[in-house]
Amino acid sequence: MTVPKGIHGGLSDFNIQHGFVEGLVRGMRSSFLQDSDYHHLTQCENLDDVRLNLTESDYAEVLVDSNTLNPSDLQTVSIQKLVTEFKYLRSQAVEPLSTFLDFISYEYMIENIMLLLKGALSGRDINELMAQCHPLGMFKDSTMRSIPTFEPNAKGFADLYQTVLVDTPVGPYFAMFLQESSDKASGEVRNVIEEVEIEIIKSSLIKYWIEDFHQFVEKLGGDTAVIMGEILKVRADTNAINITLNSFGTPLNEPGMRTSDRKRLYPACGHLYPAGTSMLSDVADEDELGRVLELFPQYSGIWNVHASGTGEKSIDDAFYERDVQMLELAFESQMHFGVFYAYVKLKEQEIRNLVWISECILQQQKEEINKFVPVFSFHAPWRSKKKN
Amino acid sequence: MGDAEADYSYGTCATPYCNQGWGEILTHMSPYGYANFGIAFGLGFSVVGAAWGIWLTGSSLVGAAVKAPRIRSKNLISVIFCEATAIYGVIMAIILANKVKSPEVESRYLDDNWDFGGYYYAGYGMFSSGLSVGLTNIASGVSVGIAGSSCAIGDAQDPSLFVKILIVEIFASALGIFGIIVGIIQSNSCNFPIAALE
Repeated sequence: MTVPKGIHGGLSDFNIQHGFVEGLVRGMRSSFLQDSDYHHLTQCENLDDVRLNLTESDYAEVLVDSNTLNPSDLQTVSIQKLVTEFKYLRSQAVEPLSTFLDFISYEYMIENIMLLLKGALSGRDINELMAQCHPLGMFKDSTMRSIPTFEPNAKGFADLYQTVLVDTPVGPYFAMFLQESSDKASGEVRNVIEEVEIEIIKSSLIKYWIEDFHQFVEKLGGDTAVIMGEILKVRADTNAINITLNSFGTPLNEPGMRTSDRKRLYPACGHLYPAGTSMLSDVADEDELGRVLELFPQYSGIWNVHASGTGEKSIDDAFYERDVQMLELAFESQMHFGVFYAYVKLKEQEIRNLVWISECILQQQKEEINKFVPVFSFHAPWRSKKKN
Repeated sequence: MGDAEADYSYGTCATPYCNQGWGEILTHMSPYGYANFGIAFGLGFSVVGAAWGIWLTGSSLVGAAVKAPRIRSKNLISVIFCEATAIYGVIMAIILANKVKSPEVESRYLDDNWDFGGYYYAGYGMFSSGLSVGLTNIASGVSVGIAGSSCAIGDAQDPSLFVKILIVEIFASALGIFGIIVGIIQSNSCNFPIAALE
């Protein structure tokens, strides 16, 4: 849908347009916490020690204003730091890198809109909701305040699209969703009041976003198409597996709904598409899901983590580990856009790690504290395997 | 040179105005033209290669230095390597330009016992030595530029990498030296005759 403008460039002319911004993001790579930092943090007794240790890392500037530290404040402040860096990169970027960076932010815009809609249904205050929104996906204040004012039915949703959402960058995804739901046998969007419906809307929007992003990077060509194409394919497959797994025990798993509704939520890109997704759309329970995933070697390992069910690791942890490995590899080559996506996602993983560690310390659960996935760690399982 | 009426009956010519193919076109281009184009290509392509290398490495250097300011001074060596390829081009151009001499006596036609052999040899020799230097310096400049860009980014993360990647750049800039050595050998015995042979 989105056609790249501008020059991407190969090995000898990438630096004309994008050399400076790539140099910036690679300089920012040194701000990730190292193994020694994680070691010190896990040894801390209370949150003041954590704060002391963090002031020696790159987080020193953002922590200088706060006196005490609790996990939610740490998360807010760290995300704000990431957003500041991202906006700095975005302001220095030219086409097509600027469109690429915008694509990264669309995901957060979709999440914010869904958060506002869901919150409005449960009658929460708009200001409280806006404080919870992810800063990377913010719109104009007036746009955001008008979202919860619409009626929670089919007509209200179409009105919301016509007046507010069509001007946002994620408008085309809503347009495709409304188009698709009016094509369905039922003829109109079911009552938006149900919680399940909000989740289905969000999954559909994320699916359109992944497909659009994938088409965009394939058109860019070069190293970006190779690296980002792979990352997005794996992302699409992760979504497909998660949708299937989460649908067990909900109305979405009924035989009539599987092909009509659940299959529509699988993205049309990825290693599992098209043969795997058509098999997944018939799956009724976890055993069948396991049998389907056995046919795909890259996912059978992750599924076995879940199926063995020892409780040590969940399937989400296995997905995070595999994602971190792939995103670290994006830093291994130069002259492509994959480093920008990888930087944002790896920074998010680091923020998740910090929040996990501080929560464990706060609740005094020291045995759980090492269950995080470190970024750029020398002790990572895939690195130590090679040494042996 | 013979007059037109006699020449045109050779080959496929039907009128006095056509030529007899590439051989006639190329040999009728003045050796002075060849020599001066050689100087232009030698200098021009060398500078293109040097400039290409400098913007390749300079943009990465400035970007990486935002978070790691210590790399600023050391990594200017990459820019200096690129600049050296332009200097090779200037050296070659000055040597060649000093060899281009006009005849002592101005006349409309060259003498019958003019040293035509040396005349053509000088023109062709200087043209190709200019091309030798110019084309090798483009390759050398681009190569040093890409290696210098990676050097700046790697040095910002791990200072021990700098010297290792510098060795790659040294090999890349050796390509330009090959060009100027061969160019000097080619143009050594090129001398424009300034008077008729006795």
